Amino acid sequence: MIGKEKLFAKLEKVLAQSKADQTEIVFIGTESGLTRYANSAIHQNVFENNGRIYFRTVLGKKVGVASTNSLGAGELKKTLENSYEIARNQPENPDFPGLAGPASYNAIDTFDDTTAGFSPMDRAKVVKKIIAIADAKKFTLAGAFSTSAGEVAVVNTNGVRAYQPVTSASINMIAMSDTSSGYAAGLSRKVDNIDFEKLAMTAVEKCDLSQNPKSVEPGDYEVILEPAALGALLEWMSYIGFGSKSLQERTSFLAGKIGKKIVSDLITIYDNGLDATSIAFPFDFEGVPKKKVVFIDNGVAKGVVYDRATALKDKTKSTGHALTPDNTGDGAIALNVVIAPGAAKRADMIKKVKRGILITRFHYINGFIDTPNAVLTGMTRDGTFLIENGEIKHGIKNLRFTDSMLRAFGSARALSKETTLIESWWDAVGCIKAPTMHLGSFKFTGKTEF
Amino acid sequence: MKDKLKECIDWLRSKGVDYADCRYVQRERENIRVTDGMVDTLARDLDVGVGIRVLADGSWGFAATAVLSSADLKKTANKALQIAKASATTKRTPVRLSDQKPFVDQYKSKCKKDPFAVSVDDKLTLLMKVDAALRKSSKIKKAESTMMFYKTNKLFVSTDGAEIGQEIVESGAGYNVIAFDGKEVQKRSYPNSFGGDYAALGYEFVEGMNLLDHTDRVVDEAIALLSAEPCPVTTATIIIAAPMMALQIHESCGHPTELDRVLGTEISLAGGSFMTVDKLNKLKYGSDLVNITADATSPGGLGTFGYDDEGVKAQRTPLIQNGLFVGYLTSRETAPVIKKKSNGAMRADGWNRIPLIRMTNINLEPGEWEFDDLIADTSDGIYFDLNKSWSIDDKRLNFQFGTECAWEIKNGKRGRMFKNPVYTGITPEFWNSCDAICNEKYWHIWGVPNCGKGEPMQTAHVAHGASPARFRNVKVGVSK
Repeated sequence: MIGKEKLFAKLEKVLAQSKADQTEIVFIGTESGLTRYANSAIHQNVFENNGRIYFRTVLGKKVGVASTNSLGAGELKKTLENSYEIARNQPENPDFPGLAGPASYNAIDTFDDTTAGFSPMDRAKVVKKIIAIADAKKFTLAGAFSTSAGEVAVVNTNGVRAYQPVTSASINMIAMSDTSSGYAAGLSRKVDNIDFEKLAMTAVEKCDLSQNPKSVEPGDYEVILEPAALGALLEWMSYIGFGSKSLQERTSFLAGKIGKKIVSDLITIYDNGLDATSIAFPFDFEGVPKKKVVFIDNGVAKGVVYDRATALKDKTKSTGHALTPDNTGDGAIALNVVIAPGAAKRADMIKKVKRGILITRFHYINGFIDTPNAVLTGMTRDGTFLIENGEIKHGIKNLRFTDSMLRAFGSARALSKETTLIESWWDAVGCIKAPTMHLGSFKFTGKTEF
Repeated sequence: MKDKLKECIDWLRSKGVDYADCRYVQRERENIRVTDGMVDTLARDLDVGVGIRVLADGSWGFAATAVLSSADLKKTANKALQIAKASATTKRTPVRLSDQKPFVDQYKSKCKKDPFAVSVDDKLTLLMKVDAALRKSSKIKKAESTMMFYKTNKLFVSTDGAEIGQEIVESGAGYNVIAFDGKEVQKRSYPNSFGGDYAALGYEFVEGMNLLDHTDRVVDEAIALLSAEPCPVTTATIIIAAPMMALQIHESCGHPTELDRVLGTEISLAGGSFMTVDKLNKLKYGSDLVNITADATSPGGLGTFGYDDEGVKAQRTPLIQNGLFVGYLTSRETAPVIKKKSNGAMRADGWNRIPLIRMTNINLEPGEWEFDDLIADTSDGIYFDLNKSWSIDDKRLNFQFGTECAWEIKNGKRGRMFKNPVYTGITPEFWNSCDAICNEKYWHIWGVPNCGKGEPMQTAHVAHGASPARFRNVKVGVSK
């Protein structure tokens, strides 16, 4: 960790050397440790100390990007010059909106000293404890436990000065018997907020309950989607549908449907990077403050997230969802997707299922089949159960689903009050927040042998 | 740098470690993307650092740093040692490595034209021409063309005495269009979807793609898809185009033969494998026609290298022989489980990642068929071209692939086009239904630059040699 003042001083020194009309520097620094365990022992255990600087250099409407993790003064100057040369040698981009101007940012506490100082031995002690819980049932345990600290800064010649230090802790685990497995996971900015033993007991309980699974035929079932399962669906829906570029290219399932009812009125989905109870982060990689953006409001399609370039195209303003300078061509991405909770209790939701399936988690979802209809496919794994007449009967062998999420979410019957943070592709700057959801109809199209 | 790495190795040796290696990696990357007549990405990146892997008390530790002074490297070596000691507190069985000759060598991939020496102007001129040719119809909503280049220099030093330097240059390019008619949206790509094709070659590989020769067909097919019928829901004979075969091999043979997956060390994220050790030399994986080989020496393959990241020399290993499952991708740690030495499949995604078992070039060896004869020999079937979606269960049995488009085959002739086609199956049933593979004329090594595995996530560059192949009784069109 370099720290705000020292980092700004270092970046401003480099900024002053730029010959360009406008220059932006993004710094992402990380010190992260990750402990992987399988067959009830640690088998990989890694630490990384890294920092990356991106330069975006603007000459009129010409833009060049260069980046490096080699942070010596000479290398930084060389990379800055490199970005200048790239800009100089390319045609103008008439749609380039220019760099962001100065802004003020919400003060959010995203750093925890205990998490930053958590050592490999501390992680090993946690892993030893949870392995003992699986051992007691003669199950094996596998998973990964990471703790990291980092800092992000965005500065530019228009006066943007944004800085945020972050920590995060996450763990995933599966307990395994000869015929079954059970999953649990935890995520927080603060390692002490994760109840590791409770998670291990959940994984063990799911593994135990799903032993000797029976096969059921694919078809249309009621489902209870637990938060990890629902979060994985939302992650793909966000990727294919909640960003400005997908709306502009007409591949989003929201395209042509803004203002129309597309799913059940029980469903509200939004992005909120300012929610301090989540993996919050107050600004994007252009230094624009994050705004709350509603995608679906009580079933009605509302909008998408924007960066500066795609906002200009739609004659609107950035919502604070730009990616790093090397990825600006991908448009904006929602990093803190939330599906609003309901009022139900998980146990009561299960009681209302006549014949259905409880899904702990999905594996290998893909959403490119038919994006305008939000068709996703994927497999269940690590705790899939048959529910009959309101009771969990037994574990079942895993199934493949292939369905339009617009159709499936149109059959929503209830959402739980309790929500869970689900780790997403976006690591330290975002996550998914999801409740448990009861759908009246979800289509399974195939099955497997375990 | 070599002296600094050797100092670390000497220091770790003095601490009595079981084994250690240090890898210095410097990777340059350039990516260019032109979208609708504008350069939306032109970025260069330099990534450099050292990763130190230590086996102590029978357990692994790994630490990596981008700060490369001798003092920082020693600090990182000590960190890796302390991490190994933390790992050992949960040890059940000590790690044992297969024997390995310590090579002292230099390797350089084949590269006629250094892509980093080709001017940006030349690259942009070609991409702009492609872009203009792709935007000839008002129904084309978006045209995107890309190039990506890598140059990686590596230095590997180990306590066994290995000292290996490698330089690998990789090049890739491709394009796609999105067509829209007010209702329907469809996409077509060339030469492959998701970024095109890649090879461990220089800029000559991009020039050899003849990018401008295929723009008209790509545009016409994207527009034709707008009014195409949906793929029928049925059980059919299918012929799969070579680039789609590449992904089929990747998901249903490459990943399940990674021995670390088989032994459970990837179970919590990527999953395990149905190809368990008890099935080796017993499982009839495919029909007698099916021969699949892991070949890290295939000329120009994106999975081609001199040595893996444990210092094991690149080699060729059969995985499937005449349909029988006969081999795995292995490491020094896992190979002893099947009483073998490592076949050199351990690779890391840069200096800051630990090596994992990764695919090399996993090739379906060519058969004997001419492509036209294969179509003519098929009375009723569907031809699937270029991947669009992919999904497979966590033991690699139940898979489902979608492609950009498909064509009906009736009485030996290619007929109407189908949109949003998918096919699905169970891996050994599917491969056992293979009854024809096209010959070497149609065989090409397709580069896959985005194979994900591990935690923290690592992206490997791998490849698959493939030609079109035919499969019987396959479920298709199950996307609704």
